[in-house]
Amino acid sequence: MSSASEFIRVDVNMTTCVGIARCGGCVRVCPVSIFQKNGDAPAVVEKNLDECILCELCIQTCKPEAITIRKLYEA
Amino acid sequence: MRLLEYESKRILEKYRIPLPAGRLVALGEILKIDKPVMLKAQIPIGGRGKAGGILEASDTEDARQKISHLLQSNLRGYIPKSVYMEEKKAVKQEFFMGVTYDTVAKAPLAIFSPAGGIDIEELAQKQPELVCKEHFTVASRLPLHRAREIVAETGISGKLLLGLSPLLSKLADVFLDYDATVVEINPLGLMDDGQLVALDCHMEIDDDAVFRHADIASMEKDTGRVEGEKRMSDFERKASEINDLDHRGVAGRMIEFDGNLGLIIGGGGASLTAFDAIRAHGGRPANYCEIGGNPSVLKVKELTKLILSKPGVNKIAVIMNVVSNTRVDLVARGIVKGILESGKNPARTVAVFRIPGAWEEEGFKILSKYGIPIQGRTVSIDEAARIATKNSD
Ligand code: SF4
Ligand code: SF4
Repeated sequence: MSSASEFIRVDVNMTTCVGIARCGGCVRVCPVSIFQKNGDAPAVVEKNLDECILCELCIQTCKPEAITIRKLYEA
Repeated sequence: MRLLEYESKRILEKYRIPLPAGRLVALGEILKIDKPVMLKAQIPIGGRGKAGGILEASDTEDARQKISHLLQSNLRGYIPKSVYMEEKKAVKQEFFMGVTYDTVAKAPLAIFSPAGGIDIEELAQKQPELVCKEHFTVASRLPLHRAREIVAETGISGKLLLGLSPLLSKLADVFLDYDATVVEINPLGLMDDGQLVALDCHMEIDDDAVFRHADIASMEKDTGRVEGEKRMSDFERKASEINDLDHRGVAGRMIEFDGNLGLIIGGGGASLTAFDAIRAHGGRPANYCEIGGNPSVLKVKELTKLILSKPGVNKIAVIMNVVSNTRVDLVARGIVKGILESGKNPARTVAVFRIPGAWEEEGFKILSKYGIPIQGRTVSIDEAARIATKNSD
């Protein structure tokens, strides 16, 4: 799953994500609400993507390493 | 807190500083006037005369009409709640005297000029020899002999020197006793008969000291003395709504001006410095606007769009001091996105982007991608203002 922003792209690999019921870490830790619960899957909230502060808390909390963050302004 | 003219004059009266005979007049009051009077709208802002807030009346009917007109006029954003009527004086010469606080020297400053009735800051720039400024201390105040030295410095001597000096010394007492931030008599008029009279007075009290002065505190609580605050323009109101979009930082404290260069500038002293520097370089700001405290990208973006929606505004200058509590990259994102959503090209719209500090590497990467030149911390705010002015057309 991915979404569009001018500056930031967040992807969640749904084949490795263990789901909200078993984890849900990204939804809990993101300080700017970029992840939201969508059934048992974390959905990326597009309208909040520009606010990503690059803290990487989501990456640190995600044991299966399902989350990737890309800065679209980098070559 | 800025006092109205008549409130300031009541204080001058207590210190025996001579004033023209005057009183407040109410709408519909039966007047009888047998000699020319000045009618002065009581509003807490300068530039009253130019805005039509001071009128002369020659007889009762004339005065009645003009008072009614003043009480219905919008003068620089204020509708006066009262009019002060004063006898008209035949003035031979006008002087300026004032006391303020010099925040750099951290001391009170007495100012005197034999050229009154005009903008003292402009005069100090153009003819500094006509303005004498001297610091004094709160402990020793401004004794008569020091006041005399200040006045004499401008070439005044004799009887006039003896008349002016005690007034300056008393004005310093008013300043200190009332915890004022500024007290000015401008103009101080010399009458044909040699009498010196305070024709107008501007006095501001330190907001944090108002509670120490029961008379001032009761004025502050009097909701009937001033018609609201200066009314916000639609542009200013929209900016304030943007600031309320979320709790993060400040982005939307706006004052509208009629220039062509949009400003997004860091709050506090840096924004004032940037604003003044742009004007000093000949730039024409479309607005004054503070951001700080790490506002959200959304707020900066919306603010950028609002500023660019003003007719005639095609360029934005983004200037802050070296920031530690605001992220350069988040401001850069907001500016770029706001410009793109306004259908404009960031490289051609940003007149200058000078925010060094936290997360500047990331911020500079964003600027580079959109072709916006990077101004680091070696570029002073003054230099950034010069660049912005050069690029503003
Ligand atoms: S933290 Fe990782 S595993 Fe946990 S819900 Fe989020 S994406 Fe899935
Ligand atoms: S890096 Fe931080 S702000 Fe960005 S999505 Fe992850 S947790 Fe949220």
